[in-house]
Amino acid sequence: MGIILEVKNLTKKFGGLTAVNDFSFELKRGEFVGLIGPNGAGKTTVFNLISGFEKLNTGLIKFDGKDITGLKPYKIVNLGIARTFQLVRSFKYLNLLDNVTVSCLSSRGREVSKETGTDEYASSILASVGLVDKARLPPIILPHGDLRKLQIAKAIGTNPELLLLDEPFSGLTYEEQLGITDLIKKLHDDGVTIFITGHVLRELMTLVPRVIAMHQGKFIIDGSPLEVAKNKIVREAYLGKGEEFA
Amino acid sequence: MFKEVRKKVESFPGYLKSWVGTFKGGLTIFCLIILLIIPLLTQNAYYLGEFFTLAMIYAIFAASWDLLAGIAGQVSFGHAIFFAISGYISSAFIVYFGFHWIIALFIGSIIAVVFGLLIAVPCLRLKGPYLALGTMSFGLILFLLFTMGGLSEILGGSGGISKVPPISLNPVIEYIITLFIMVIVFIIIIAIAKSNFGTILKSIRDDERGSDASGINTTKYKIFAFMISGFFAGIAGALFAMHYRGVNPAFFQPLYSFYAIVIAALGGIATIRGSALGAFFFVIVTRIFENIEFFADVEPLFFFSIILIFTIRFAERGIITPAIEQLKDLWDLVLGK
Repeated sequence: MGIILEVKNLTKKFGGLTAVNDFSFELKRGEFVGLIGPNGAGKTTVFNLISGFEKLNTGLIKFDGKDITGLKPYKIVNLGIARTFQLVRSFKYLNLLDNVTVSCLSSRGREVSKETGTDEYASSILASVGLVDKARLPPIILPHGDLRKLQIAKAIGTNPELLLLDEPFSGLTYEEQLGITDLIKKLHDDGVTIFITGHVLRELMTLVPRVIAMHQGKFIIDGSPLEVAKNKIVREAYLGKGEEFA
Repeated sequence: MFKEVRKKVESFPGYLKSWVGTFKGGLTIFCLIILLIIPLLTQNAYYLGEFFTLAMIYAIFAASWDLLAGIAGQVSFGHAIFFAISGYISSAFIVYFGFHWIIALFIGSIIAVVFGLLIAVPCLRLKGPYLALGTMSFGLILFLLFTMGGLSEILGGSGGISKVPPISLNPVIEYIITLFIMVIVFIIIIAIAKSNFGTILKSIRDDERGSDASGINTTKYKIFAFMISGFFAGIAGALFAMHYRGVNPAFFQPLYSFYAIVIAALGGIATIRGSALGAFFFVIVTRIFENIEFFADVEPLFFFSIILIFTIRFAERGIITPAIEQLKDLWDLVLGK
């Protein structure tokens, strides 16, 4: 099991605010890891830095042993890191099939899709997330849960080795959450390394075997869900200081 | 790849047959037949040239703008740059070097492609209204350069290049050739919009960050969009210069960019086909106003600016596209679908 992602001393400042402060961690190939922290902890910024959407101030990001610090987002995607966004985004005037086709046309997606043809490949992805019967519909008329699935389908289209899922459960009903959970588990079984954020502990703790916690941009603890849940700083970050919660 | 192309070519006759059967296909063929009949009805140079040939040139110009703004989402207010530069270059090659007009037209359009690249690169980081302002500024800079700058000796100064021979002295032949070029250009632009390349351009229009996250090199595709759009605007510019027997710095003024925008907006942005209908609507209404004495001195864009304001406010999809959809509903009703 080699190391797939290595993040060292990541720092990002927005004006006077340090959103991510000297943050380091490693992910092994095939792992399933959660990144937790209360709102504003810097989880999304960490994702933005890894995927190249924000420029970091200092630090080093290595993917598969290759330095990817400061690369443009599309280059990082084509190396094998795909991501989804916390707020669902879709190409609103394209139908679902075309939404996924775009990622199948990225240079990394093309390597896989050229054998079967992009259309067939894109519809097979839609089938795997359970949206194939809605392939010709525009995303604007879909319910929120389907849009979350579409996000993941778009990411799968680029044939990722590492998938960064930013709050994939937010705004979903319990049933919809189960659907997404199954989907993510299936992807993990197919060998995709998954790195997932969430600010509600309950959802993530049952899903992942390893959790990294952060608070106010700083690394707090890396361990099993139970260890993390017992950590004093994590509890204070979520529940507040002073009082004892049994 | 080859297999796919062959499959497409083999299935083409059947596809064509079913396409003509659809409302859209039928209407297109109907319009084409009307356009082919028109020269039989009138051989008058004014009616044929100033109504229909001009409308077809504007249609090409507006469709090129629609490809860039409607499909790729890069709203340019400086589209006259490509139009004018190609008009200049092709006229210069015809008048000074005696080239055949087809070759000059291609040279002019290829120079327009180069300008597409030159303008795309500095404007890439600009979005929305800032891109519009940036492209408009380029248009004004070139307008001034051609009016008074050091280019005057080479390219005719403020007088421009005159005595450009038309495609043909016979207005019917000019009409037919322009029609042929227009049909080819529309087929190509619609094919581009429907292709995978077009899907990528639309994804950039809808959500550029999302397109980046899908692994698309958006910079590269935006530059391509500018260059391809420049090429077709260049064809229109060269045809326009030949139609009016000359070219001058006024081609660069923002007015022509606005023509493209007004025409595309009337027809419905991002429809490509709408540009053709919008152009005929625009030219014919303009000519009608010109022939009414009371309005003769008023710049036609005055009316169209007013129409445009109402179009944007009340009919976001253009005037003509919804009208055609109404017609389609009526058609379906008649056929009992």
